[in-house]
Amino acid sequence: MFELLGSKVMAGVVALSMLLFSSFQGNDPQLSHIKHYSSSSTLYLSGELLSAFDNDFSTIFASSAPIPVYFKLNIKSGSRTVLSQQLTHLVSFNPATGIYVLRKDGEPEVLRTSSVEQIIKEVSKYRFNIPYESSWGLININIQAEMPLVRLEEGGKEMDLMVLWKYKKPAAKILIDLRKAQ
Amino acid sequence: MPKLGMRTRIILLFIIVSIGGLVLLNNVFQSKHEIIHNSLGKMELSSRLRELKLHSREDSLKAESLMKDFNSTKAVLITSLGDSRIATSVVLFLIIVISSTIFIFVICRLSKPLKELKRATEQIRQGDFSVHLPETGIPEMKELKNSFNVMSRELETTQTRLLVAEKEMIWKDLSRILAHEIKNPLTPIQLVVQRLEERLEADCDTIKELLPESISIISQEVDNLQLLAQDFSNYAKVNQPNTEELSPALSIREIVKSYVQNYQINLDLSDTLTIRFDKTHFYQVITNILQNAIDASEPDKAIDIRLYKERSYAVLSIKDLGKGIESKDLPRIFEPYFSKKSKGTGLGLALVKRLCEANGAIIRVKSKPAEGSEFTLIMEDVEK
Repeated sequence: MFELLGSKVMAGVVALSMLLFSSFQGNDPQLSHIKHYSSSSTLYLSGELLSAFDNDFSTIFASSAPIPVYFKLNIKSGSRTVLSQQLTHLVSFNPATGIYVLRKDGEPEVLRTSSVEQIIKEVSKYRFNIPYESSWGLININIQAEMPLVRLEEGGKEMDLMVLWKYKKPAAKILIDLRKAQ
Repeated sequence: MPKLGMRTRIILLFIIVSIGGLVLLNNVFQSKHEIIHNSLGKMELSSRLRELKLHSREDSLKAESLMKDFNSTKAVLITSLGDSRIATSVVLFLIIVISSTIFIFVICRLSKPLKELKRATEQIRQGDFSVHLPETGIPEMKELKNSFNVMSRELETTQTRLLVAEKEMIWKDLSRILAHEIKNPLTPIQLVVQRLEERLEADCDTIKELLPESISIISQEVDNLQLLAQDFSNYAKVNQPNTEELSPALSIREIVKSYVQNYQINLDLSDTLTIRFDKTHFYQVITNILQNAIDASEPDKAIDIRLYKERSYAVLSIKDLGKGIESKDLPRIFEPYFSKKSKGTGLGLALVKRLCEANGAIIRVKSKPAEGSEFTLIMEDVEK
């Protein structure tokens, strides 16, 4: 809770400071509205990150270091957390061939492309397949995107890629009544 | 626009200068970072190296390593630049917020004792010397408050001493005046009594011849003593005025009636004016001024009394052509016990002034030696 409050305060201070004193463009990431549909036992959630990689990320992705993007899912039924899950999208680059590779958790296919635009488009999309229990009833779904510290050069210091998102962690919420979904 | 206090001005000046300076510095810093960021963005190596025809695997590996190094360094620089720009703006923001908060806090801490001093000074100005400030705060402020407390204590002591001295002086003056004024009628009485005693011893049969004159003298001097007592009594007890609407012209005519047979008094009175005044007080005021005018004038010199309206005021002027008042004495003529007359307690004009003040009237005097004096009484005309 304190961590959440701290990150919100920090994001607020950063936003205000930048508004007043900085011309740094960075990115203003947002998570689109969560799309959902369900089968008898599985809930499918999808969406995408918007305006998250437009600036500077072509350079970051081209650094050859694997760049992970996390999508954290938290499902609460009432005040009880019934499921926590994390998807990782990993982008890597081979400078010799100029090919970007994107691996997504839970998806067997690997995307290989020389187009950074396509990589940005694909890395932004996420999809969760959740096996659910109808006893969860009304659930509160929260999805948040973030990036971890990454060592961009060998032996170098770990860099916080959240700088490029101005320390904002985009999030999306939705309420689903699983009893109606059935 | 409300007037800004010194403290507010200092705070505003500080905030404007500090924010302005820091923003300027930050703008320079940010613009330089922008230039570096743009230049980094334009630096491209991988695609050009890939276009080169490399003949050996070793060359390819070297080129790949070079591209990796270049790209990762570029990524580190881009991230670091962003981090630095955000950090700079956050640090600047925090510096401004924290320094302004500290500055305002310090200014308030400094000005609080000054406010206390201001309040205490105000109390002293109103005559309350018992004020005592708690000796707290920074050492200089403690010293200042201590000096203030010492000063207020000394002022209180001095005031007490002054009051005692003043009372003593008043009693001395009063005793001197009373002794003098009582002695004046007592001397003729004593002389008459002595003469009667002498005659009683020498020729008691003829004592009757002296009696009428002696009785007359004693009676006259007893009257004088009664008048003296009356004067002191009148001055001591100026009652709350029982004001009523009255016609000053009518009252003046009544007062003057008893004088016109013996003195030349010219009246020019406006009958339309009405004032609010205690009738007895008005009588005492006019009688005192008129009696002074008569005492100061030769019997053949006229006394002019004028009553007229000036704006919303009724103005009464009593002017004589008598011996006038020396300019050095003019400021003192309304002081108690000040008199230039051979007979008199010096309470008449002091009483006039007190009565005027009690009834909301203003009294002024103009005088030139050997030319005469003019007393002017200004009262509100309440005639609708």
